[in-house]
Amino acid sequence: MKRRDEVLVGIVATAAVGLGVVGSLYLARGGLLPGYEVYSVYDWGSGLRQGQPVMLSGVSVGYVSTTDIRRDGKLVVGMRIYNRYDVPIGTTSKVAPNGVFGDMMVTLHPSRVTDEHFAPGDTIPAGPPSVGIGEILGKVDTISRDIGALTAALRSELVDAKGLAELRATVASAHDLIETLDRVATEQSRELTRTQQAVRRVAGAVDSAQVDSTIRAVGDLSTNMAVLGADLRATAANLDAVLKKLEAGQGSAGLLLNDPGMYRDTRALLQRLDSLTADFQRNPRKYIKFSVF
Amino acid sequence: MSAPDLTERPTETFPVVQAGGLRFFRWMGRRALALLGGIGARVLFVGEIRRALREGRTWRREVFHQMRAIGVDSLPLTIMVAAFIGGVIAIQIRYQLFPGIQLSIVGLSTRQIVILETGPLLTGLVLAGRVGAKMTAEIATMRVTEQIDALETLAFDPVAYLVVPRLIAGIVMLPILTVFADVAGVLAGMLSSVLVADVQLAQFLEGVRLGYDQFQVTYSLIKATLFGGAIAFLCTFEGYKTFGGAEGVGKSTARAVVITSIAILILDATTAVLLAPYLQA
Repeated sequence: MKRRDEVLVGIVATAAVGLGVVGSLYLARGGLLPGYEVYSVYDWGSGLRQGQPVMLSGVSVGYVSTTDIRRDGKLVVGMRIYNRYDVPIGTTSKVAPNGVFGDMMVTLHPSRVTDEHFAPGDTIPAGPPSVGIGEILGKVDTISRDIGALTAALRSELVDAKGLAELRATVASAHDLIETLDRVATEQSRELTRTQQAVRRVAGAVDSAQVDSTIRAVGDLSTNMAVLGADLRATAANLDAVLKKLEAGQGSAGLLLNDPGMYRDTRALLQRLDSLTADFQRNPRKYIKFSVF
Repeated sequence: MSAPDLTERPTETFPVVQAGGLRFFRWMGRRALALLGGIGARVLFVGEIRRALREGRTWRREVFHQMRAIGVDSLPLTIMVAAFIGGVIAIQIRYQLFPGIQLSIVGLSTRQIVILETGPLLTGLVLAGRVGAKMTAEIATMRVTEQIDALETLAFDPVAYLVVPRLIAGIVMLPILTVFADVAGVLAGMLSSVLVADVQLAQFLEGVRLGYDQFQVTYSLIKATLFGGAIAFLCTFEGYKTFGGAEGVGKSTARAVVITSIAILILDATTAVLLAPYLQA
């Protein structure tokens, strides 16, 4: 009985220790697979701890095995990469947030396609640090400051400078205007309804024979207008031809209009006629001699 | 005119007030003395245990038997309770989440709740009912049937023989049971959230691994150790100090379960207040 108790207690205790160790290792390492060690050196670890995941292109390929501060203040992070994964040469690493609970992880970013890989013990160069909560909060702070300034400006314009009161007055005026327009529209609508009714009455009273004769007369008128239009177009064409001749200097009229010599002769003739007329008015006896005897 | 003599005033003038006031203060005094007496008796019992620890030959033979009775025999019940609670916690968490929240939080929350709280606490409360009552009833029966007196007559230290093995077994086995409870609770939470709810296995495992710190398990085991000690100490004390025959055995057993349960809750709160800051990532 005593031996049986001891054996049972031993089995349970061993199982508990085994479960505890295996469970803790699983939770701390993110798995129990064997792997090889690579390193990265960072300026700032952002609370990176042993056991946090290492992601290559978004896939968990290992876990952080060690974190150590060097004498120069740099953080040396050891990463255990599972044997079935290779990290291509040219990959950079950085510390990034993992989820929204403050956890961190190491992310590996391959830069080119290559068959060469980092060997155990190699150091993966650190890439530019990812945006941290501090930067995000800084941006949020800037945005909130801008919003504050905008709010203050709006308050200044709308409240302090009576802009809001004016806006309200404008809205009230617009409201009155809309009411007036609404009344006018209602009145117009009523008038249109009346007009429509009157037109309907008139249309009902019109004799269709008269309408036909009127339409026929309108048709004749339209035909006559068409003939008149054709005549006018022909006349216009003739006038156009005459004008073209005039412009080209053809015929007497064309020469009169376009020949400068004839213009000058005509002008000189008119001057002479004018001086002759003046002389005739001054000395009529010079030109008219009347004698009976 | 001389002043009236107040000592001659008849007491019947204020009979109700005087009698009621005295009764209350007498009751308060009795309770305070009983409380202090109880604390003192337990402190003296600790001294007896310390003395009995030197009697290694007496208690060593009994330890494994008690470890089996307290630990191994309680294993199925512990695992079943932890598994049911873990499964229900995971489902409840899943269906309380707002849409859009990443489902890995189900694994994270289940792990934290089971390991930090329900694993050790429920194991302690279950064992207070199952093992603590058994301890008290056994020792109380031995007390009222004068078997303990017989042991003393035979120069056999009853505390070393009856109390110390149970105390050691409780302190050792409760953390072991808690490890099983923690594992069973998380595994049941994983199964229920994957099979019953719409959480993917990968999501649950991602959450389970998120923000893990070794101190979380240590914290759970510290609590379990304290609970195991409290159960064994308080229940053996109640049994050891029993009087009044079979009725006394019943009263002691009931009192032991109540006191132990309250003590476990107080220890749980105290541990949380003292150690929770160290859990902060």
